[in-house]
Amino acid sequence: MKYIVETKDLSKSYRGKQVVRDVDLKVPKGCVYGFMGPNGAGKSTTLKMLLGLVKAGSGEAAIAGKTMNQRNRLEILRKTGSLIESPSYYGHLTGRENLEIVRTLKQAPEKEVDQVLKLVRMERQQDKKAREYSLGMKQRLGLAAALIGRPELLILDEPTNGLDPSGIQEIRELICELPKRLGMTVLVSSHLLSEMDQMADYVGIINHGQLIFQDRLEALHEHSRSRLLLKVMNRTAALKLLEMRQIEGRVAEEGILIPELSDDRAAALVQALAEGGAGLYRVEERQKSLEDIFLSLTGRRASL
Amino acid sequence: MLWSCVKTEQKKLRHSQLWLAFLVIPLLPAFMGAANYVNNLELLKSEWYSLWTQHSLFYANFFYAPLIALYCSYIWRVEHLNYNWNQLMTMPVPPAEIFLSKLLLAVRCTVALQLWMWVLFLIAGKTVGLPGLPDPQILLWLLRGSLGALAVTALQLALSMVIRSFAVPIALALLGSVAGLLASNGGFGLYWPYSLMLMGMNANKTDDMVSSFLGFGISTLVFTAAFTCFGILWLKRRDIRAA
Repeated sequence: MKYIVETKDLSKSYRGKQVVRDVDLKVPKGCVYGFMGPNGAGKSTTLKMLLGLVKAGSGEAAIAGKTMNQRNRLEILRKTGSLIESPSYYGHLTGRENLEIVRTLKQAPEKEVDQVLKLVRMERQQDKKAREYSLGMKQRLGLAAALIGRPELLILDEPTNGLDPSGIQEIRELICELPKRLGMTVLVSSHLLSEMDQMADYVGIINHGQLIFQDRLEALHEHSRSRLLLKVMNRTAALKLLEMRQIEGRVAEEGILIPELSDDRAAALVQALAEGGAGLYRVEERQKSLEDIFLSLTGRRASL
Repeated sequence: MLWSCVKTEQKKLRHSQLWLAFLVIPLLPAFMGAANYVNNLELLKSEWYSLWTQHSLFYANFFYAPLIALYCSYIWRVEHLNYNWNQLMTMPVPPAEIFLSKLLLAVRCTVALQLWMWVLFLIAGKTVGLPGLPDPQILLWLLRGSLGALAVTALQLALSMVIRSFAVPIALALLGSVAGLLASNGGFGLYWPYSLMLMGMNANKTDDMVSSFLGFGISTLVFTAAFTCFGILWLKRRDIRAA
């Protein structure tokens, strides 16, 4: 089994409005899979369908080789830990009591409560009532609950939502550690691309309910061809020189953007610009950021 | 597995002040019943049995079902809050066990409540100066009331599961029991779940309201099974909305 999560034409409509459309998710075993998309793109609904919280309208989802349906539901749930929407907690119970409930229902060994408390670093707050926790603590409690039972697959829906920067960093480190330390596959959603850049091995991008990109993170980076930015005193002269050399130049606010050139061609161009009176004073390499790619990927679909 | 489910459900109710309500609220119908008895001594001549008619009059008609509803609403309130539906439904537990474990807890509460009412009945009887002890039959009526209340417990549990509001199911229980009084007086008691507990308890009557235990038993069973099945199917079929 190569993929721990595999969906086929997974779709869902609410009152005639299609919120998830023919999604074919493929999450390889043992990776951190970043599931991205703007708010309202269908991330949560897709994840809920994987867990059976929402019934698929059409298509199917398979977890660890088992199709999600009434018959396989419990077997799948035994192998998954999840944190959906916002952390679930019983406010009048302590953090520890909350975890004890999950442990009993997952039929996990008693020592696991201490283990997960240690893992999310909240041993010292375990006896405080959950409603007194900060959002960051609740999020960690939710993560601890998801880890009970040593699931093969961890599904985390926007786990850093609403956290302060240090909280985000902490959750992020935990997520990166898990596959290595516990051999889990992590499927994590976010609307923040920068976050994925630091955690994910694979990414899927969903927009308006459709999966518009799915590959290794590096493949997404390859989309970001770098360009050169020329800063010149005389733009008209520079553009003329570029035209003569058949190099496409685009005027931007800071200067003229041209496609990347080989070293010798770049050297020749710099010389020509200097000698031709363009007043070249700076050449910079410009990397298209992942945010730009994300925007261009989602933006293009959005305009359809 | 059902047993661990019941255990966790019990844990979820920890640290709640609910018991206080169940301790104090029944004092009200007990007091009202005793006062009524004392004020109508010239009409009420059958001692403990007469006191029972007054004791059960208020309790069975206006308090028992709403108290059950209160408990059921509390059982589900913990799930309606803080996105707990997501967690509840992603645990490897069959929906039937979720519903049944909550039902078992609620049933335990309905029985405990009846026993407490019996204690209050004894105290009230002794306070108004009745001789000896009541016929054990009255205790049996109380427990039969619990049996009849099974139908209402299953119904209230299903209502509180579907309705996110805490108070609405309790109001429905009050309406249901008032309608139950009318139904049982009109002879339709066996067809209305809220009547069954009144009939079981022989509320406000000296002759036995349950003329055929078979009919009473079947009606209770059918209603309880129907509401329980509805609850379980709802859990199975519905898309979960946690907030």
